[in-house]
Amino acid sequence: MSKDFSVHVEHVTRVEGHGNIILDVKNGKIEKLQWNVVEAPRFFEAMLRGQHYNELRPITSRICGICSIGHSLASLKATEDALGVKITSQTATLRRLAIHAENMQSHILHIGYLVVPDLFGAGSVFSLLGKHTDTVLKVVKLHRLANEMSDLICGRTIHPIRLVVGGFSLQPTEKQLIQLKKRLLEAQELTMELAPVILSVAGNLPSFTRETEYIGLTSDEEYSLYEGDIASTDTGRHPNYREYKEIMQEYIVPHSTAKYAKHARESYMVGALARFNLNSRQLHPVAQDIASLFKLKAINYNPFMNTIAQLAEFAHSIQDSISLIDILVDQGIKQEKPVKPAKKAGRGVGIVEVPRGILVHDYTLNSQGYCTKANCIIPTNQNHANIQKDMEKLVPEIINRPEKEIELTLEMLVRAYDPCISCSTHYLDVSFK
Amino acid sequence: MKKKIAVIGLGNPLRRDDAIGILLLQYLSQNKKKLSKTIDFIDGGTSGLNLLHLLGDYETVLLLDAVDFKGSTGEIKKFTVDEIKNQKIQLFLSTHEPDFLTVYALLKELDRAPTRLVIFGVQPKDISYGTRVSQEICSFLPTLQKQILEEIQSMTKSL
Repeated sequence: MSKDFSVHVEHVTRVEGHGNIILDVKNGKIEKLQWNVVEAPRFFEAMLRGQHYNELRPITSRICGICSIGHSLASLKATEDALGVKITSQTATLRRLAIHAENMQSHILHIGYLVVPDLFGAGSVFSLLGKHTDTVLKVVKLHRLANEMSDLICGRTIHPIRLVVGGFSLQPTEKQLIQLKKRLLEAQELTMELAPVILSVAGNLPSFTRETEYIGLTSDEEYSLYEGDIASTDTGRHPNYREYKEIMQEYIVPHSTAKYAKHARESYMVGALARFNLNSRQLHPVAQDIASLFKLKAINYNPFMNTIAQLAEFAHSIQDSISLIDILVDQGIKQEKPVKPAKKAGRGVGIVEVPRGILVHDYTLNSQGYCTKANCIIPTNQNHANIQKDMEKLVPEIINRPEKEIELTLEMLVRAYDPCISCSTHYLDVSFK
Repeated sequence: MKKKIAVIGLGNPLRRDDAIGILLLQYLSQNKKKLSKTIDFIDGGTSGLNLLHLLGDYETVLLLDAVDFKGSTGEIKKFTVDEIKNQKIQLFLSTHEPDFLTVYALLKELDRAPTRLVIFGVQPKDISYGTRVSQEICSFLPTLQKQILEEIQSMTKSL
C-alpha cells in the first residue's frame, strides 16, 4: 500500500520527560523514524564535583522524583566503596526493604496510572476511573501502601532522609515493622485480585518481538535488586563491577541530546523485563505464578511485556519484604549508629537495580573527602537505543494500519519502557482567568 | 479522618530557582514555633503522582512552588486552582511526571481532595540545571520568607 503520513508525537503524555516520536512516511516508505529525546544536558556529575561525601547522597536523591531511593542507594554504595565502609547486615536488610518499597511505588504507578488505561482503551486514568472505579481504587490502595513503606523505612515518601553513609539515621521499630507486614499481606491479596483484571485486557498488549540483549544485576543468593554482578543475556556474568564501562558503552547520537548505550549488539534493554529474563527462576513462587498467568517466560523478547514483568516484580517485592521483616523481627531490630569510614580518599562504584533498570554511580574522593570526579549511568539512557531499534522493526510491521493506531502503538511502546527523561522539574507555566 | 494542615514545598534544588518552594518550606519548618502546632511541613520535591496521598490526607494544603505567571522575578502570587486559566493544557504538557494539577484533578475524581488548597507561587528567573538559585531570587529570599511566614500565620491562626 502506498500512502503518505506523518506521526509527530511531542512530549509523550504520561511519561516522565520530553520524548518525541517522529515518523514520516511517503509513498508507503519510511523516510524518517526517530525516538528523539530533547532534554537539556543535566550536568549531575558537575554538580557532584567539589561536594563533601556526606552531601552526595542528598544531591543525587533529587535527580529523579520516582527513583530517589535508588539514586540514594547507588550513591551510598559508591561512597562506601570509596571509603572502605562495611555496613551491618541489619542495614543491608533495611536497604533491601527500601529498594522494594521504591520498586513497588514506581511499578504500581506505571502499571496502574499509565499502562492499564491504554489496555482498557481509556486514554487516561481519569476516564478509567469512571468506568472501572474498583480497579483504580485497588491501584490507589497499593500505591498508598508503597508510599507509606518508603516513608517508614526512609523517613519520607520520596527524597529519603534516613539513608546515610554507613547505615541509617533512624531505624523503624519492631512494632512498625509488624504493622507493615500486616499491610503487605493485605496488599498481596489485592495484587492477586488485580492480576486477573489486567489479564482480561492483556490481549491489547501488542504481540511484537525483537531479539535484543538484556542487562541487569544477577546473584546466586537472590533476585538481584540491591546487590549482584552485572550480567548480560548475551555474554553472561561480569563480576568486575568497577569495569562497568566495558559493558555500558555510552555514546552520543545527532538527533538526541540524551546519551545512548550499547554493548554486544546495537542496543540493549534494562529494567523489569531484563531482570526477569536474567533471574526469573529466583522470583518468589507467587510472582512466578503471576508471570505464568500472562504466559511470560524467560527469555521474552516483547518490550510491551515489561509491564507484566513489573507486575510479577511487584508481587515478588511484597513477598520478599515480608521475609525480610521476619528476619529483622526474629533478630531483634537495633538502633545502630552508622558505620564510620575507614579512610577518606578513594574511588568507589555503586550499582543497584532501580525500577527502570541498572543504575551506576562512580565517585572519586580526595583526601579531604571531597568528590573530584563523578559518573552516573542512568537506566533510561541505556534504553534509548533499544526504543529506537524497536521502532525500526515495529513500524514496518504495522505500517498499513490506521495512522491513529500506529501513533498509539508507538506511544505504548515508549510507555512500556517507563522512561524517565529530564526527570527533574514540575515547574508550572500558568495564566490566570 | 483527615489531618488538619500541610504546608508542602515543591521543586528541585538541582534546578536553581525551582528550589524556591523547598527553601521557603525549610524556613517555615525552622520557624515552626511561630506557627500553628497543627501544621505538618512536607518536602514534596518532584514527587508528582506520589503526592496523591500526601495531598489527600489533609483538610487544608498550602503549596509553595516556583510558578511562571509572567510576573517579575521574586514576585509572589497567592492563588487557587480554580483561578488558573490554562490548567487543562498543563495536565497534558507537564514537563515530566504529572504535576500537582494532575494530582489534584485525580484527587477530586477520587473525592479525596483537600477542602482548601492554596498555592503560593514565586516567579523564578532561571530553572536551568544547577544547585545555586539566581542572584535575584537570592536577594529576594529574606523578604519572601518574611512574607510567607506572615501569610501562613494569618491564614492558619483560626484553624
